[in-house]
Amino acid sequence: MAGNMDENTDSGISLEPYIESVRQQLEDQDQIFLIGVLVALAVVIITCVFLKYFLTSKTVRSAVLLVGLCDAGKTLLFSRLLSGKFKRTQTSITDSSAPYKVINERNTIWTLIDLPGHESLRSQYLEKFKSAARAIVFVVDSAIFQKEVRDVAEFLYVLLTDAVLCKNAPTFLVACNKQDITMAKSAKLIQQQLEKELNTLRVTRSAALSSQDGSGGGSVYLGKKGKDFEFSQLPIKVEFLECSARGTKGEEAEADIQALESSLAKL
Amino acid sequence: MLDFFTIFSKGGIVLWCFQGTGVTESFTGPVNALIRSVILQERSGNNSFTHESLNLKYKLDNEFELIFVVGFQKILTLTYVDKFINDVQLHFRDRYKNELEQRGVIKLLNHSFEFEDDFKVLLREAEEGSRARSPAPMRSFKESEKSQKTVKSMIEIKGGDKEKEQGSKKSKNTKKEGNHLLACCLTASKSPKPQKPKEKQRRVWEMTGSSTKDLDYSDRNGESSPDCDQNPDAPIATVCLNTTIERHLFMWNFVSAKKSGGFGGMFGMLKGLVGSKSLNLEDMEPVLEKMRDHLIAKNVAAEIASQLCDSVAKKLEGKVMGTFTTVASTVKQALQESLVQILQPKRRVDILRDVMEAQSQRRPFVITFCGVNGVGKSTNLAKISFWLIENGFTVLIAACDTFRAGAVEQLRTHQRRLNSLHPPEKHGGRTMVQLYEKGYGKDAAGIAMEAIAYARNQAFDVVLVDTAGRMQDNAPLMTALAKLIAVNMPDLVLFVGEALVGNEAVDQLVKFNQALADHSMSDKPRLIDGIVLTKFDTIDDKVGAAISMTYITGQPIVFVGTGQTYNDLRSLNARAVVSALMKA
Repeated sequence: MAGNMDENTDSGISLEPYIESVRQQLEDQDQIFLIGVLVALAVVIITCVFLKYFLTSKTVRSAVLLVGLCDAGKTLLFSRLLSGKFKRTQTSITDSSAPYKVINERNTIWTLIDLPGHESLRSQYLEKFKSAARAIVFVVDSAIFQKEVRDVAEFLYVLLTDAVLCKNAPTFLVACNKQDITMAKSAKLIQQQLEKELNTLRVTRSAALSSQDGSGGGSVYLGKKGKDFEFSQLPIKVEFLECSARGTKGEEAEADIQALESSLAKL
Repeated sequence: MLDFFTIFSKGGIVLWCFQGTGVTESFTGPVNALIRSVILQERSGNNSFTHESLNLKYKLDNEFELIFVVGFQKILTLTYVDKFINDVQLHFRDRYKNELEQRGVIKLLNHSFEFEDDFKVLLREAEEGSRARSPAPMRSFKESEKSQKTVKSMIEIKGGDKEKEQGSKKSKNTKKEGNHLLACCLTASKSPKPQKPKEKQRRVWEMTGSSTKDLDYSDRNGESSPDCDQNPDAPIATVCLNTTIERHLFMWNFVSAKKSGGFGGMFGMLKGLVGSKSLNLEDMEPVLEKMRDHLIAKNVAAEIASQLCDSVAKKLEGKVMGTFTTVASTVKQALQESLVQILQPKRRVDILRDVMEAQSQRRPFVITFCGVNGVGKSTNLAKISFWLIENGFTVLIAACDTFRAGAVEQLRTHQRRLNSLHPPEKHGGRTMVQLYEKGYGKDAAGIAMEAIAYARNQAFDVVLVDTAGRMQDNAPLMTALAKLIAVNMPDLVLFVGEALVGNEAVDQLVKFNQALADHSMSDKPRLIDGIVLTKFDTIDDKVGAAISMTYITGQPIVFVGTGQTYNDLRSLNARAVVSALMKA
């Protein structure tokens, strides 16, 4: 005990001369020099504050992303929206972007970006473009939806629980494509099926294993606990609409994308 | 002869296509299969691909982001296809340089590429060129050079034995052949003796110190290639002319490049910094060598590393680099992207969801574990069953390892521990884990079948089948494993591999897949569906085994084992693994 007290007083004493010497030095210096130092510090602080303000201010997000599974019809939809023409398409392996002029009074121009849907490319392109997304058009193949329900739901789950997207809260437009095929499911049916599937998925995904460096695993829980999942429970606006990129009257005719265009106009 | 030819952008829009006469099927399917299997799985080292009855050859144009694909029937062996693709590519680029350079997608969409006529011309040239090079008809013996030679000239004489040899030859010939050869022998005596050089003559290269006039082949039109002699047709002459001029131009380019090497080096560096330099193989070669060695040092199998580097080279060839990027950084970036692409699962991996699906269909979800000896099958089986019972599923462990001493006891110990961690009282009186065993020495496939039937009767959710470890070259054991899997049709066949394995991983996986494919009766054999990577805590950043295994099979890594307690089970984070791999 005595030893401790000695140490305390020792450290107290050893600090004091230092403080004294610093104070003396400051007083010795020129007033102008002191003012110079203070002004420099002030300028640095003000610049930092300004930079922070400018960098974290809301960057204008003007990208509309076209996402979906492979063969959903994203590239054809992209072509139809931009030029109205029908083009044969293959599996995309890279993104394509182009400015899209919306037909409304404000004449806004969004950047329409078509992302590849293949599983191995999805995540890296999403990483690249998700922070700039103003709206996300999730294209679903309505004809083979029954077989792909779980894959569609998983991709939608990944999008809805993504941290960046949750923060920016872009509008979600689920476009049920390929309505020209007779077996295509309606938007309402697809919505119900997805709600049921996401209901189970949120339980299994939050119980999934974490990855080897600790990240991942259970993340945002969709909707409300205890109640069945519904899209209306989400803070993000999700809208379902029907469209047909190929067009009902054959390849050369117009595509049936009025609903999509009007939704894009309302953004 | 060609079934189809397409030119499409990497973004997916078909710019121009050609369908051969009489071909009704759409080519979208085969081309999509090509993209998915080859380009996306980074196997673009060799540029041909077979899909059902079609053979597809392709070429990537990385500067304008285009892909050229040609398809023809597998049974035809067309020799002109490679050169033809190159010609079409050069032609297309030259013709549509303006539209392609602007990189605007809208331009691509709106412009209609009228390439039909050029294509037909090129195709005709290529076909005729190949026809001209068809093998010449066989010459008869009289026309051949051998008949002109005398018998005497064919005899190799040392000196002094000429008469004896000639005499013996003559006698032999008179006995066998008769008049024809006699006549030859008679002429032999009159023909001059062959001159044998006494010493090695000093070689004189024709091109040393000569003027460039000698390099001018444009006069000697057709003399340089022997086939051109035989066919005097006009288009063939033009083809020959083209080849000689091409050769001439090629040599000129080579010479001029060498001359301006000094200046080129300095300007090349500046050009590279500013950003209008396009990558070619020589620039990338040193960087790729270094990358290959780096990957091998990180425990990626050697052939996989070289295949990956070849594929990255193909993907970057001709690409224009951005401002202030060096070759090394572009190559590293591309390699990183392709590694992440390989590790991303190609299908949905959600075991819990699939178990729920099987539950709703009132059947158990069967998972089989296979692998070589000592990789951690039983340990990881116990970890996975712990995870499953934590999520409320009942598990039946089938002890199909009837060979190793103590295998059944090990599983029984795990079962007791798991049941004590999750006693029946907490789960409504149901025992969460049960062991189905029939002792040692019995047939593994039979035990598995009985276990699955038992699970169906007792309404278990999951059946985990533990098999004995076996070496991949042990044929009878591989047959037994294939039989177990073929007969029981499990929902998931997991290959357990340890992360310490190096080049062995390639051999193990190939042989396991081969055995499963060979011994299954159906035409859609069950192959390995997923990989469990164990002992991940023993390697710090030498994580290359993950790449080797996913590259070989194309299947995702479902679980990662990081220790020996029940909680040491993780899922794979592709980005973390790739950053550990690329870290210097």
